[in-house]
Amino acid sequence: MQKSDLDNENPTILNVSQLPSREQKKAIARHGPDSSYDHLLFSRYHSSDASSVLEDDEEYEDVFDDALDQQEIYDLISTVSDPEHPHTLGELNVVRLPDIHLTPPQGDPRGLATVLVELTPTINHCSLATIIGLAVRFRLEQALPPNYRIDVRMKEGTHAQDEQVNKQLADKERVAAALENDSLQSVVNTMLKTCVV
Amino acid sequence: MAPPTAAASISPLPPLHPDLCQRAWASVPHPTLPLLATPHATSVAVFSLATLSKHSVLTGGHARSVRAATWQPGLAPGKLRLATGSFDATAGLWSWDSGMEREEWEFNLVLEGHENEVKGVAFSPSGQYLATCSRDKSVWIWEDVGVAGGEEEGDDGGEWETVAVLNEHEGDVKAIAWCPDVPGRTGHGRSSADVLASASYDNTVRTWREDSDGEWVCVSVLAGHDATVWGLQWEPKPKDDKTFPRLLTFSADATIRVWTLRQDDEDEEAEKQEASSNAFRPAWGGIPNTMRRELREEWDCTAILPKAHTREVYSATWSADSGLVASAGSDGIIALYGEGSPDGDIGMASSTDPGTNGWRLLATVADGHGPYEINHITWCKRFDAGTERKGEEEMLITTGDDGVIRPWQVRTS
Repeated sequence: MQKSDLDNENPTILNVSQLPSREQKKAIARHGPDSSYDHLLFSRYHSSDASSVLEDDEEYEDVFDDALDQQEIYDLISTVSDPEHPHTLGELNVVRLPDIHLTPPQGDPRGLATVLVELTPTINHCSLATIIGLAVRFRLEQALPPNYRIDVRMKEGTHAQDEQVNKQLADKERVAAALENDSLQSVVNTMLKTCVV
Repeated sequence: MAPPTAAASISPLPPLHPDLCQRAWASVPHPTLPLLATPHATSVAVFSLATLSKHSVLTGGHARSVRAATWQPGLAPGKLRLATGSFDATAGLWSWDSGMEREEWEFNLVLEGHENEVKGVAFSPSGQYLATCSRDKSVWIWEDVGVAGGEEEGDDGGEWETVAVLNEHEGDVKAIAWCPDVPGRTGHGRSSADVLASASYDNTVRTWREDSDGEWVCVSVLAGHDATVWGLQWEPKPKDDKTFPRLLTFSADATIRVWTLRQDDEDEEAEKQEASSNAFRPAWGGIPNTMRRELREEWDCTAILPKAHTREVYSATWSADSGLVASAGSDGIIALYGEGSPDGDIGMASSTDPGTNGWRLLATVADGHGPYEINHITWCKRFDAGTERKGEEEMLITTGDDGVIRPWQVRTS
């Protein structure tokens, strides 16, 4: 893509040291995704017997006992790459820690939890907002346990077509169909490459 | 109408075998036979309700996920025909003939025309029409012209021609349903018997009829939901032979609404009112001026079912036998409702908020599919060894993102 084609030629880039992180976990040198989610990532729909996730009680409980917090959600999606800049959504400040809202399961740890992520696109009429939202939602759907309901929205006042974009991203059927579209899928896969280093 | 039911319970029966291990969108019972069709990925699994295990598979006809499937009614014994709608923007027709040497599904023909994902498919009660709907905002009506010439040829899927392309929705059309063939359907006596209803991403439901020139036109817009209307169900058995079936609609706004057609004298009243005063203007947005006045219908939202869901309601089902309604959705909750006599406090009811109007929540089950979303729920007859009234006792079947198809026993007292 030529430089002049970019929607935003000069986005503000945050230095890695400016990104939110958890001090005590820094020593472990986190590379991309939490490897502890890998078994879910690859077993949820793709294993030859998905019910094994449910049958293996120990593993199942481990997942639920280890309640997630905002920082962990942030770590999962801040490493997603921007579709047009060679930076991550964290570096571009599209994903912001305070804009991740987590409602943990009430009572039973296996009960429903909700994650609301509000994205701040780099410019107001970012044509790629939907694709960024799709990649974030896809990343979380794959990485989070199945009792997490994921809502991805554009932060209020940041995007010209907020409601249209939000409605699309909330529509399970549209998201499923979009991810079967070859060209969209390849864009999303490229964006997620930086998550599975 | 349902007898007033005091209490009810929903208890799980063993799931159908095997699990599909991936998101399944719906499970559609055959109108008379013990068969259930479940679209998942690019194929459809057909289960036997007698053995509760897999009967056959339809595969190889679609390049992307199959979103919907429906059985053609009224075929000769030994013949089955299934229509499928796919994210690959086509609808497919499949047949099974038990007289053939190799008993298997044959992919007969593909219906092309939609520009985007096909989300719903539905046969009219006689099987004459097939309706399809899509993200391209349109509803297509196809007619089987093969049968008109007399003998239908061999094992093919018939000869389907496009008779209408309906373009008035302003968003994806999520689902379509034909009014069932009940006596009250033709009570109007002013147009064709077949009535189609469609639910949309534009938050509305529309109804469609064929006018005297053979043109299919939109005759009403049902506006009330605040978010995508995921689908709709016609009342399968109205309270008497004169009553036009009501509509049940369910939405991403987490509500379920019941709508009633204004009939006869009320129709005239409405027309007079409209003629005398322009102040009262319902939301006619999108209905063309060319629409024949006499075909216009007025539907009122006459109940909002008691709140049971916290997230999107993806599916609801209305029993012809008991009149009970069951619903399911993103929150994993299965809810059962019954209709008693209205509360009587008519003064409280308004067109925007009619209240529950006699509907009561009878039972709920949480986490029906564990942590997964439930995409579909349907009433279905039992044919398995566990029932003493085969082909009569009703159960519920839910279909989830976990690929499990789960029957439920419902008891009322």
